[in-house]
Amino acid sequence: MTTIEPTDVWRLRQQVDLCPARRNSYRVKSLALRTERKISGVSFQLAMQKNAGWKPTPRFDATVISRLILKSSRSARCLLLCLSAVMIAPLNADEPPAPEAVEYFEKQVRPLLIARCYSCHSQKAGKQEGGLLLDSRPGWIQGGDNGPALTPGDTDHSLLIRAVRYTDPDLQMPPDKALPPDAVAVLEEWVRMGAPDPRTSSAVDAASHQDPSDPVAGRTHWAFQPLGGEHVPAVEATDWPRSPIDAFVLARLEQQQLQPAADADRRTLIRRLYFQLTGLPPAPEDVAEFLEDKQPDAVERLVDRLLNSTQFGECWGRHWLDLARYADSNGLDENFLFREAWRYRNWVIDAVNADLPYDQFLLQQIAGDLLPWDSIEQRDRQRIGAGFLVVGPKVLLGNDPNERIMDVADEQLDTIGKTVLGQTLGCARCHDHKFDPIPTADYYALAGILTSTEVMEQRYMLGQQRVMERLAGLGAQGDEADGAYETYWRERPQRQDNLKHGKSALELLEKNDLPAVRKLAEAHAGVVAAVALDEQQTMAARLEAQKALVAELEAAAAPPQIPPRAMIPGDRAKPRDEAIRLAGQFNKPGKTIPRGVLHVISETGIRMPEHESGRVELARWLTDTDDGAGHLAARVMANRVWHHLIGRGLVRTVDNFGRTGEPPTHPELLDHLARELIESGWSVRTLIRQIVLSRTFAMSSRDNESGRLADPENQWLWRAHRRRLGPESLRDAMLAAAGTLDLTPMDSTVSYLGDQATAVGENKNRRRTDFPCRSVYLPVIRNDLPEVFDVFDFADPHATTGLRPQTMVAPQGLFILNDALVMDAATATARRVLAEVAGSGDTHGDDALPAIADRMFELVLNALPEDTEQAELIAFVRSAEQHFAAVGREEPKLRAWAAACQALFASSRFQILDDIGLGPE
Amino acid sequence: MNRQSDFAPRDTRRCHQFVPTTTRREALRASAAGFGQLALAALCGQQATAASVPSDVAAVASLPHVVARAKRVIFLFMWGGPSHVDLFDPKPRLNAADGQPLAGSLVGSDREQLGTLLGSPFRFAQHGDSGVWISELFPHLSRHADRLCVIRSLHTEGSAHGEALLRLHTGQANLVRPSVGAWVSYGLGSENENLPAFVTISPPRGHGGVQNYGSAFLPAAHQGMAIGSAEIPISKAVVSNLTNPDLDPGFQRRQLDLIQSINRRHLRQTADDQNIEGLIANYELAFRMQSAMPQIMSLNQETKETLDLYGVDAEPTDNFGRQCLLARKLAEAGVRYIQVSTDYTWDHHQKVRQGSITESAKVDRPIAGLLEDLSRRGLLEDTLVVWGAEFGRTPMAENGDGRNHHPKAFTMWMAGGGAKGGLTYGATDDFGYAPVDNPVHMHDLHATMLYALGLDHERLTWRHAGRDFRLTDVYGRVVHDVLT
Repeated sequence: MTTIEPTDVWRLRQQVDLCPARRNSYRVKSLALRTERKISGVSFQLAMQKNAGWKPTPRFDATVISRLILKSSRSARCLLLCLSAVMIAPLNADEPPAPEAVEYFEKQVRPLLIARCYSCHSQKAGKQEGGLLLDSRPGWIQGGDNGPALTPGDTDHSLLIRAVRYTDPDLQMPPDKALPPDAVAVLEEWVRMGAPDPRTSSAVDAASHQDPSDPVAGRTHWAFQPLGGEHVPAVEATDWPRSPIDAFVLARLEQQQLQPAADADRRTLIRRLYFQLTGLPPAPEDVAEFLEDKQPDAVERLVDRLLNSTQFGECWGRHWLDLARYADSNGLDENFLFREAWRYRNWVIDAVNADLPYDQFLLQQIAGDLLPWDSIEQRDRQRIGAGFLVVGPKVLLGNDPNERIMDVADEQLDTIGKTVLGQTLGCARCHDHKFDPIPTADYYALAGILTSTEVMEQRYMLGQQRVMERLAGLGAQGDEADGAYETYWRERPQRQDNLKHGKSALELLEKNDLPAVRKLAEAHAGVVAAVALDEQQTMAARLEAQKALVAELEAAAAPPQIPPRAMIPGDRAKPRDEAIRLAGQFNKPGKTIPRGVLHVISETGIRMPEHESGRVELARWLTDTDDGAGHLAARVMANRVWHHLIGRGLVRTVDNFGRTGEPPTHPELLDHLARELIESGWSVRTLIRQIVLSRTFAMSSRDNESGRLADPENQWLWRAHRRRLGPESLRDAMLAAAGTLDLTPMDSTVSYLGDQATAVGENKNRRRTDFPCRSVYLPVIRNDLPEVFDVFDFADPHATTGLRPQTMVAPQGLFILNDALVMDAATATARRVLAEVAGSGDTHGDDALPAIADRMFELVLNALPEDTEQAELIAFVRSAEQHFAAVGREEPKLRAWAAACQALFASSRFQILDDIGLGPE
Repeated sequence: MNRQSDFAPRDTRRCHQFVPTTTRREALRASAAGFGQLALAALCGQQATAASVPSDVAAVASLPHVVARAKRVIFLFMWGGPSHVDLFDPKPRLNAADGQPLAGSLVGSDREQLGTLLGSPFRFAQHGDSGVWISELFPHLSRHADRLCVIRSLHTEGSAHGEALLRLHTGQANLVRPSVGAWVSYGLGSENENLPAFVTISPPRGHGGVQNYGSAFLPAAHQGMAIGSAEIPISKAVVSNLTNPDLDPGFQRRQLDLIQSINRRHLRQTADDQNIEGLIANYELAFRMQSAMPQIMSLNQETKETLDLYGVDAEPTDNFGRQCLLARKLAEAGVRYIQVSTDYTWDHHQKVRQGSITESAKVDRPIAGLLEDLSRRGLLEDTLVVWGAEFGRTPMAENGDGRNHHPKAFTMWMAGGGAKGGLTYGATDDFGYAPVDNPVHMHDLHATMLYALGLDHERLTWRHAGRDFRLTDVYGRVVHDVLT
């Protein structure tokens, strides 16, 4: 005999409340307790959903409950009623319906509602899907976004009945599984009876089950609090901090009774600074110069030099491109090329190098097309920046255009929400957010701004008209050139026909078949020259005229150059407020919500313009520190900077500052950094500079026993984190060692591709990766990334990625051991080193081996080998050289050193940034 | 629900893939029995990725969730969409009405006219003791009729290939989600420490491409390893970077010894940094995979009789025969999820008759051979074989003699571990236009496949970006009737 305890049912119900998946149905089902008949006399079994993994605690025997409460009842539903009576105290109605009607409700209807509806439609569950509550009479009378849930007495006009009948494909409830027919019959009968319902109000005090999506209550969450006041903490080791940043870090360490690590040695520091600020290693000469520089401001000067180099923007621009889900193709179902996306990529790099203030940076990306301009150059720059909204992936074929509009807006909201605010706004598309203070209404207020914006248009592609990304011409004549290009493709069949007819007219004319020429001229306008028909003229002149016309037709039929264009959004002719979509279904509009912003941040909202989408206002609001999201945006951005420089965000979930994210380890430090960012006029570069000049940044990464025991994750920063190189740095550093890296910035690296970016069908062109440029310029084809990106955890460009995954998978090992990129770079490095050492003329033959080993170590690792390392490398090279000579390979010495260099590329010392050449304490 | 922090202290979340080789081997050996692999897999690979962790430790600990009927899946993917009314779903009334318009009202459509019906030119017959209907285009497969569980009532969304392919392979089209094979790999792990758990043979490069076998937010170890791609004959297919063009394996081992010596020295200096440990273990894994894969890829050890069974070295079956044989070898070697794809050849907008004849002839004997071979080796009883495509084709004509895409109703079949052989499940209307009995949505198929493997689709979850995700999103139900 199975026994149960009401509190266990209660506990399960709590789980429903917390259930993170949308309508996670199995738990609901397990709550339904499978009342199907195991009842015989007084014994029954509560069959839990088969896998719920829940073992009832034998507290009091169910037989007892049934005797005490159920008495003669044999209905399992009544059992549920009784259990629910424990959970939900029935309240008296003001005007109670007839007793038999109440009995019907209590016995048949209420248990059904509890079991199958309350998990999404009750105050106790904290959920009000579609705005509907079914836990009280006022709840269904008022109804949800669709209006009253039922019309007493009229089943056919009751939404609730329609929903449970499951005949309307767009309105089916419960969503996980249809009710059995007898249950539907119960509800129908109830509505026919006039829907008697004694429940005057929700049975459970709503205050004890606060709605997590309530924007007002949500303001207490740390991330929505205004930035705190500045209190640099006092520390014991007053000589350690170099800046307030260090004081905040040290205060925490002292609290935890931890010591900061020693300062990193100079080689370690310069290698770290180079990689963190430019993504490249220092050349051995740079290291030597820095080691020689004994001036007190040597580090500062080095930092400023790096911050002012083009390579800084290439490295930090790429961080932003991860967030902007930048790509050179659409991805998803139809992988069309984004031929012009590279301009946006380079705009980001340039903006970072120019230290465009973050508020301006955002404004141009969200609304660059709407901003005033003084020159065509400025207009074009702003246009290109606005490509941010357009480069997202979209389902292109087969779906409903109205669905696509909502999907596109959702994708943009998701990107902006995570990138700028660290909020998972997308959750509120189908229902109020389950964890964060974002009601569905706020989602659609924002969505209205974006659905009042177009990023797609009809264009010619692959020889036919398609809906594709919106483009605008660049330069003074840009719009005309773009128009002419589009006209060509629209008229191409006609122009080709004209050329064909013009040519036949010429042939006929040569044969002197005048009637046929006339016939052609009558049938097709503009294909026969007037002079050609003029019999007064000489044949030579007539032929000449027709030839000239054919030449013109030929020119008109040839495809023109693709004009320079930018991917650019544009406002719709009429901006419109968006309707809430019931359960997120694009074709189920509910209440219309005025365009606006998040109420958890701005109580009163902001004014939206009548004739514009509101993107300018949205962008300004995001960084508005008085009435907008400025404090949150500053926290999110400062945390990202910290994450990239230190190796781990103060909030580790860098894209999620919501309740399911992590709280900051150093909240006061985070607020300090955010405030610094705002006060510097949103200069991200200034913030970066402050952090890299801190003593915290410059710590050694060495382990020590006490630190490791007390804080193995190093969350209190008792040492520097070790860092794995990302794919861009991995590749660039190999090419840099080889001396084959070309630092010239690149424009498009996809211009040779067809409109289908992935080599499918007729189009055999595939993205190339053999450019000697920096990795940031390599083609980012969604679903066809360069292999080094794919294998080494590049950000999936389909969505915002603030924190790249760090995986350790076999393809990485296979890549390093076998890929041509690595083999070639190793060979080039070996060739370079051998030539350099031979060229120095100091040593020859075996005597030169140590010098070669040292130089290779310096080039690859910025370190000099210890004696054992040097000896090991030389021994390997000797034996490798013999091997290659024995198997008859050419240049055995070069091959041997190349194999050695590949081993260095494969080493953890190359792939993981760590202290150089220091043992454990 | 488990609300544990994404970042538990290291001792409980220590990644077992990163411990020294011997211990790691033990861990993997333990996992070969299918025990605790999800926990292991979950803790590995992505421990540095804060935003993404397994959701439910209870679910992890209770694997398998249900009794597993199969240990692995071979999915035979017919890219383009075969015509169900020409292959597995005979429709006498459709044939009788050939050339006549189809009124929407007859098949529950709001549209007045749906087009001109195109009857099937093919003869159907009942086969085996069970009497499963199969068209004359699959004579070899027909001999296995009693092994087949034919589901005639599949339906999905996406009337273009790209969207439908993504839904078939990942359950979603407008967001990037882990593929079915990745979920299976996450749930079950690999039975072979030298091979990934998910291998895809000749996958399509378009229509979602790598997304169709990607791991999305699941750890990268769960992504499918691709052998070749659809447009390349399998005999010329390679796994990228599996062999070195320049260095022979003996020399490479010496080079690897040097690498590991440098790495171990570094490791000692760092008090056992996990990333360095991981790197060391990972090179060994790569090296072992490098030697294991060529043996599997080579068909040299197969008997003439086996090759004939699959139609290898005969046309038009050679290519698909090789693919199926390779699938068997991977199944034998312990791979959990193996997909075999045809080229993009089933999209018959014109000449559906000839197209169906040609394409069926390429796959019929290889598929029958695969079922036979698996059965002889005792593998069929725990291998779930699934045949299908992204959608079916319209009963109405397109371009006179072709058929258009049709996600509303189509046929798939299953055989082997967990599948109820000799069963025809679900039904479409008289024209094959819409399901009228026991409809099975793509999400239901996914739920059912996972269930056959002992996985509850509602409990196989992964926490990412603040919520728990699963293969079937918020949908899907297990179709128990098609399972043993």
